Amino acid sequence: MARFEFPQWTESFKKWVLLLMAGGPVYLVALWAYGLRPETIRIGYQPKQPVPYSHALHVGELGLDCRYCHTTVEKSAHAAIPPAQFCMNCHTAIRTDSAVLQPVREAFAADATLKWKRVHDVPDYVFFNHSAHVTRGVGCEECHGRIDRMEEVYQYARLTMGWCLDCHRDPAPHLRPPELVTQMGYDPPGDRRELGRQIAANNRINPPTNCSTCHR
Amino acid sequence: MSSLNPKDGKNGDTTWRGLSDLVAQAKSEADGVEDAGDPAVTAYLEQRVPDHDELFGDPLSRRRFIQIMGASIALSSAGLSACRWEEDHIVPESHRPEGYIPGVPKRYATAMELGGTAYGLVVTAYDGRPIKVDGNADHPHTGRGSTAFVQASLLELYDPDRSRAVERHEGTNSLPATWTSFEEEIRGLVKKLGQSGEGLRVLSEATTSPTVAALRRDFLARFAGARWHEYEPLSRDNERAGTRMAFGRAMRPHLNLVGAKVIAAFDADLLGDHPESLRLSRDFAAGRDPDDNAAGMNRLYAVESAFSITGATCDHRLPLRSELIKPFLIALEAKLGGTGAAAPSMAAFDAKAQKFLNVLAGDLVQNRGRAVVAVGARQPADVHALAARINSVLASDSTITYTADPDGDRPTHTEDIVQLVADMQRGAVSTLLILGGNPVYDAPADLGMAAALAKVATSIHLSSYSDETSAACTWHLPRAHYLESWGDARTFDGTYTLGQPILEPIFGGRSAIDVMKLFLGKGDVPTEQLVRETFEAAAKELPTGQTTGDTAWRRALHDGYVARSAAQGEKPAIQPFTLAPLGATQSKARVSNGSLEVVFTSNTATFDGRFANNAWLQEVPDFLTKMTWDNAALISPRTAADLGVAHEEIAEISLGGRKMQIVVYVMPGQAPLSIALALGQGRKRAGRVGGLDSEGVGSVGFDTYQVRSSKAPFIATGASIDGTGKKYRLSLTVDHYNLEERGQQAIAERLPDLVKEEDVEAYKKPGYSIVADAHTPEIATLTVPRTADEANESLYKEHRYDGHRWGMTTDLSKCTGCNACIIACQAENNVPVVGKEQVWRNREMHWLRIDRYFKGDPDDPQIARQPILCQQCENAPCEQVCPVGATLHSDEGLNDMAYNRCVGTRYCLNNCPYRVRRFNFLRWDWYKEIDDPRAKVRSLLFNPEVTVRSRGVMEKCTFCVQRIQNVKIQAKNAGRPIEDGEITTACQDACPTGAIVFGDINDKRSKVAALRLGPRAYNMLAELNTRPRNAFLARIRNPHPELG
Repeated sequence: MARFEFPQWTESFKKWVLLLMAGGPVYLVALWAYGLRPETIRIGYQPKQPVPYSHALHVGELGLDCRYCHTTVEKSAHAAIPPAQFCMNCHTAIRTDSAVLQPVREAFAADATLKWKRVHDVPDYVFFNHSAHVTRGVGCEECHGRIDRMEEVYQYARLTMGWCLDCHRDPAPHLRPPELVTQMGYDPPGDRRELGRQIAANNRINPPTNCSTCHR
Repeated sequence: MSSLNPKDGKNGDTTWRGLSDLVAQAKSEADGVEDAGDPAVTAYLEQRVPDHDELFGDPLSRRRFIQIMGASIALSSAGLSACRWEEDHIVPESHRPEGYIPGVPKRYATAMELGGTAYGLVVTAYDGRPIKVDGNADHPHTGRGSTAFVQASLLELYDPDRSRAVERHEGTNSLPATWTSFEEEIRGLVKKLGQSGEGLRVLSEATTSPTVAALRRDFLARFAGARWHEYEPLSRDNERAGTRMAFGRAMRPHLNLVGAKVIAAFDADLLGDHPESLRLSRDFAAGRDPDDNAAGMNRLYAVESAFSITGATCDHRLPLRSELIKPFLIALEAKLGGTGAAAPSMAAFDAKAQKFLNVLAGDLVQNRGRAVVAVGARQPADVHALAARINSVLASDSTITYTADPDGDRPTHTEDIVQLVADMQRGAVSTLLILGGNPVYDAPADLGMAAALAKVATSIHLSSYSDETSAACTWHLPRAHYLESWGDARTFDGTYTLGQPILEPIFGGRSAIDVMKLFLGKGDVPTEQLVRETFEAAAKELPTGQTTGDTAWRRALHDGYVARSAAQGEKPAIQPFTLAPLGATQSKARVSNGSLEVVFTSNTATFDGRFANNAWLQEVPDFLTKMTWDNAALISPRTAADLGVAHEEIAEISLGGRKMQIVVYVMPGQAPLSIALALGQGRKRAGRVGGLDSEGVGSVGFDTYQVRSSKAPFIATGASIDGTGKKYRLSLTVDHYNLEERGQQAIAERLPDLVKEEDVEAYKKPGYSIVADAHTPEIATLTVPRTADEANESLYKEHRYDGHRWGMTTDLSKCTGCNACIIACQAENNVPVVGKEQVWRNREMHWLRIDRYFKGDPDDPQIARQPILCQQCENAPCEQVCPVGATLHSDEGLNDMAYNRCVGTRYCLNNCPYRVRRFNFLRWDWYKEIDDPRAKVRSLLFNPEVTVRSRGVMEKCTFCVQRIQNVKIQAKNAGRPIEDGEITTACQDACPTGAIVFGDINDKRSKVAALRLGPRAYNMLAELNTRPRNAFLARIRNPHPELG
């Protein structure tokens, strides 16, 4: 049988193949880098909210506990955004004529809704539960950062699956006594990892890494 | 058809799925397995593999498909908002209601009415929208479990085709109308009618609502000349009339199956369409447990024309024409030594029937006091009277009680509508208010309802859909769903049950109470107040202690019912009565074409037609026929052969001068010479699912009301059937995955290993083992591994389960095949509906199916059943072949599906020996493309705890992992262990007989762990060493020794 020879016209493929071999890895690296850019995964995403509510003022300066407004965080999957009624608990007495509070007063009076923009958004096929984390000693700060220093809230953490799994595989450095979950700037004396390990042992914290833990 | 001859013996013990199996087996026997076989058989088998043209070539079917998507379609935001760059909003209320925690579902008790009976329910609402309906476990009558209709009623709430506006018709013109203009109209009408109200009529569907009854009393007092009519196409009036014959007044028989040893059901679907089916199923199943039942198992006999799920569950069944039930009962009474009529000639019964009669009579006598006879609603009145007399002969005081009929003096529904239509035709009716129902569609065909309606000056129709009747009336009013309105009802035993709205009417509908009160000038009184006033008046007469005031009202609303409010049981004495003489055909075993019997049955999909637009119900395969999206004329294999009509052939049925065409379904076990016609399909104005002429959407199935007359509305004789030669394609799920002949034969050989059955006598012998079965290969792992050592080594990676180990048992002794679990699963897990075409292409999406097998003689087979869901194998074949790691094992042993990883190779499906995986071939959220703002309401239906899947994604049963996770989180938050029974799956909640048990196998005290170690437990295909987490409990039958 005669030896098979590629026809002449296939010669022109050579340069394309070479280009692909050289360019392919570059393309993949570029894609990878683009995909993990903070802008792509939205780190620092800070939309303009209808009311410029300042966590720095309310939490940082005035010392409100997170749960004063986010009341459902220990009972529900959602740390629900407070209704206008919560704002008016204080603002019927304080800064009653502030211009920036006008939308809140209007919503409260008209029983209408305020349309806040969602900052921390995981895909809909991810079922995150706040209560499961907060009652087990994962501080708010671990995912949301120093809320007490944010004039307007921005996304602090990556919120990617790898980031979730980092903690689920090794929770110790992220744990604290459950009564201190809302403390900002938590910095215990001694080895943080060792303390976390004790808390995990005491509270039998053994985070699952099954698909169905988050995907249902 | 010779291979189907019962005498031929070959098929005597064979288990088969449908007649096509038998044909294929017989052919391969005859031709030798190497032969390709009969071209007809090959063509039959091959037709199930769709080609490209079928899939993509037909634009019309695609359009129809889009229209059908009236139901479960993907949440519009679900797929897209996964995209990070989309701006999303959080919109909190300005005032949060007290006790409301966003994202935590709440449960409310409420009530649903269906055809003159009611169910006490619990509704799960997620942020204010109902997403699941279940039986109220605390309710003394409904209890835990539900029916398919109850489960599917949720879909109707979000049906975009439900009526949205008041309509006013003048001739063929539509005039603008609103509720306000209707209220004005009523004020004018009431003034015009004056005190007498002459010419004012109400036609109501049967309702048990005490508030409607109170308003009706006020209404008839206010308008002296008015009359109230009631009509239901499927009514139990024959039972009322029969008890009136037997006892002198209308009574309701209530069977008490808990203590019954011998139960004989005559044309009675006790476990299916009976208004008490939930309680009866529960009580029946309690007497079917061979392990936990000191008194021994009960024995169920069924004599019936069309297969019902009661007949499918029984120990002995005799297929018999419905008209022959009466001579059969007369003969039975004579055998029991009753003092009634003289024994009739036995000419109508063959040797088999006579033997059945003798054995049954002997068994009944032997179990006097613990035996009971029940007769189905469609049998004539004197048969009911006869049954009452037989029960008194049997001293069935403990197995049957009677309560007074709540409205014993009214005429029968048929008489009532005949009277009303006659009055309408002679012009005596000027104003007709129709509360619910759809009489233009479902009134007897001989009356001419539509023509009569044209003679009524003002006709007002209140209904959920603008349907056939609405179009013929001058006014149509949109009706509020039961989850949108205040109401009350009495369950079949009389328990006072309250209904509360879960949400405001989505489409501005109002309830019957809301409309009635307009006529009484009470338009400003809130309906809640009316319901409460009735409750307080009724509660005063109850021995329940504190009955009035806010506390009692709130208590009753919370519970959903009033304790100890059921009707008092009575033991009325039998009075002498005479039976109507037997007709000519009632003493003949064989009748000719032209004297055939037609039996009108309720429809397991649409009930009487009212659920025709409910895609969940339309698509759920009927348990016995495995038919979806259709109804058919069921005839027996032998009759089909005799009369020369074929399966899936269009035939013409003539009955009493009326003709209709309908597809023939050759149904094994159907009584010879009897045709069963299910009512409730062929709707012309149901909606875009069930049929809507005005938008070019063809009807689903055939309108059998066309041949139903007021003279013989349930059992008619004198019918003829003639084949037309035209073929019609049914979408049957039973023919799916047919193999070529060798495969079919292998299936037949293995079926007894898959669905295990045993007689109780053999089972009770010492040393009995479910694996020591002649059919079963001797492999130790066929049973659930009792110890770790017993488990075989595997080639797959072994897993350790130190924490939870979720498992399930499915008791085949208790499953009746009622289909409630399938729809419960659909509602819980956002399972889409795919339409008739796609079902035909094997693409149904149900995560849970109930396999049905026939056994033995095609003209009188037994039935075996097996609910199949993902078996959650510990050594899962599916996991090994996924190239992208989309299906992975969890450390609790679940086969997790990560939908967002799935790329749709379908390898897992091919490697699954149980065939439980489902693939989204198409996008079921196409409605976005048809740009119909009306469709938006559907997105409210979805369970937010479960991902809505898109095209190209594999899915399957997850053991309701969302429920597992949520209970785990709750328990962990509270720092407590999970209790046994705390996690339930949706199918388990829906099961009225408790056939499904779920729990942690590692918890040695759990119910499921104990059941899996029981003597009946076996794993399906255990020889593959997949180690399924679901174990079946073999079905134990209790046959009479003489009938075998």
